[in-house]
Amino acid sequence: MALKEAVEMAKKGLSYAKRTKYKEALAYYNKALTLDPNYAEGLFLRAAALIESGKYREGLADCDKAIAINQNLSEAWSKKALALYYLERIEDALAASTRASTLNANDVTAWYIKGVCLDEMGRSDEAQEAYGKSLELEIILDMHADAQRIRQKR
Amino acid sequence: MRTEMPLSKPIRRILVHTEELLDTEISLLRQPEAEPGGTLVDKYTYDIDSNVIIFPAQYVGLLKDFIIAKHCTHLLIKGAAAKKGEYKVCSYNADGVYAGMRQIYIDALKDEAKKEKKLPVQKLIQMLFILFSHFNDDINEIPWNAIINADVYHRMPKIRKTQLYHIMKESKNDMDEMMEQESIVPRRYFVLNKAMFYARDMYLAKTLPADELMPVLNIPQMKKFNHLEVKEMLTTRWTHTAWYQSKVFGDNMLSIIEKPLGPVNWKEEPTLDYYYDLYKVGKLLTDNLIGYMTMRDWFVWEPPKHLLDAHDHKAEYEKDALKRIFGDLITDTLVGA
Repeated sequence: MALKEAVEMAKKGLSYAKRTKYKEALAYYNKALTLDPNYAEGLFLRAAALIESGKYREGLADCDKAIAINQNLSEAWSKKALALYYLERIEDALAASTRASTLNANDVTAWYIKGVCLDEMGRSDEAQEAYGKSLELEIILDMHADAQRIRQKR
Repeated sequence: MRTEMPLSKPIRRILVHTEELLDTEISLLRQPEAEPGGTLVDKYTYDIDSNVIIFPAQYVGLLKDFIIAKHCTHLLIKGAAAKKGEYKVCSYNADGVYAGMRQIYIDALKDEAKKEKKLPVQKLIQMLFILFSHFNDDINEIPWNAIINADVYHRMPKIRKTQLYHIMKESKNDMDEMMEQESIVPRRYFVLNKAMFYARDMYLAKTLPADELMPVLNIPQMKKFNHLEVKEMLTTRWTHTAWYQSKVFGDNMLSIIEKPLGPVNWKEEPTLDYYYDLYKVGKLLTDNLIGYMTMRDWFVWEPPKHLLDAHDHKAEYEKDALKRIFGDLITDTLVGA
């Protein structure tokens, strides 16, 4: 169990990350991980912000640390796939995204990256399957988000 | 291409193709508050050096891919016309605003005469320019939307399912426009607004083809017309409803859309000339729709900067138009409220 204070810091970081303010998000994630260096979720959240900021190797390193603590952290595998894709390590990205989608079948990004990687490798039919799955999930999420927006307006 | 996200092959191809053909750069930007359909901020419209396609932050997969494809296509059309020195948009000036607001006012008075509960004068006056501006926005959007979607459909078969979902969602949102103001907006303009979207959706339903896009299947208020016998439809019960009238006008607008778009060879080599031809078709289509709606003296074809300047001066145009329509009856208090 992560320290309560670390979790609070990470939450603050996440609220900045959702507004694409990655510099501020990273500041909070760093504080969280100073408080608890083995906070796996904190590591993958920081990885996400690092990747969005273009720091792919550092992001990848954080993903690997998170996975070393918890092998079944699907979000960490998903971010790892993303970092590997940016680093043009397509086969490794495919392996990571496959692992992510196996652990969490509802991960849109994992399925999409899997599709992109398979496409790159010339495996078009499998790519279309992965894209199809990604689209299905993305539409469901989009419809839920729309329904929530309508409820909030009322 | 400046991008920081994974992209499927067809999308990377169209981005590279667009940049090469137009000799320009495109950046992709994810924003939490972006419009669901994304936004294109381009150098042919604004005084900037390169182009940006903005899309909602929550779109991480094929939904963002479709938005990028759509806006790349639009950029190609704009760029091809700009390279010939001919890129223009539907803008307005003081005279056009006066003509439009005056016509809307006359139509509003006709509607008001039939109503028991009259609209407050202040609301009526405020509505005039808002409605004028609304039609300017729609006429600059709808014809191109039809063309762009048709082009993306023919060129990118792998994102067809994504396109279909997006169009259905957009269609429902578009038809929801003005619903809260139905009792305020003069019937004519409510009907014309819905008719334009109806025609666009019917055209796309036939082009994709996708029956699901037919407004009589996709739009709740129009479902009652599905399978309705023609004889029944002609009875007073239906002919007086705004949605029936929208369908009738919409069917006419569909013919207007199909005429110039029918002969387009969507499989032609995607050169600058091809996109320039699409621009000319879009301009003709827009003119024909404006003519059908008897709004010819409302708008003028001018370079994009003219429209941006018009937006900057809109308060002035509105005030002048009100003065010309109402003379000394209008006061600063009424206008400024």
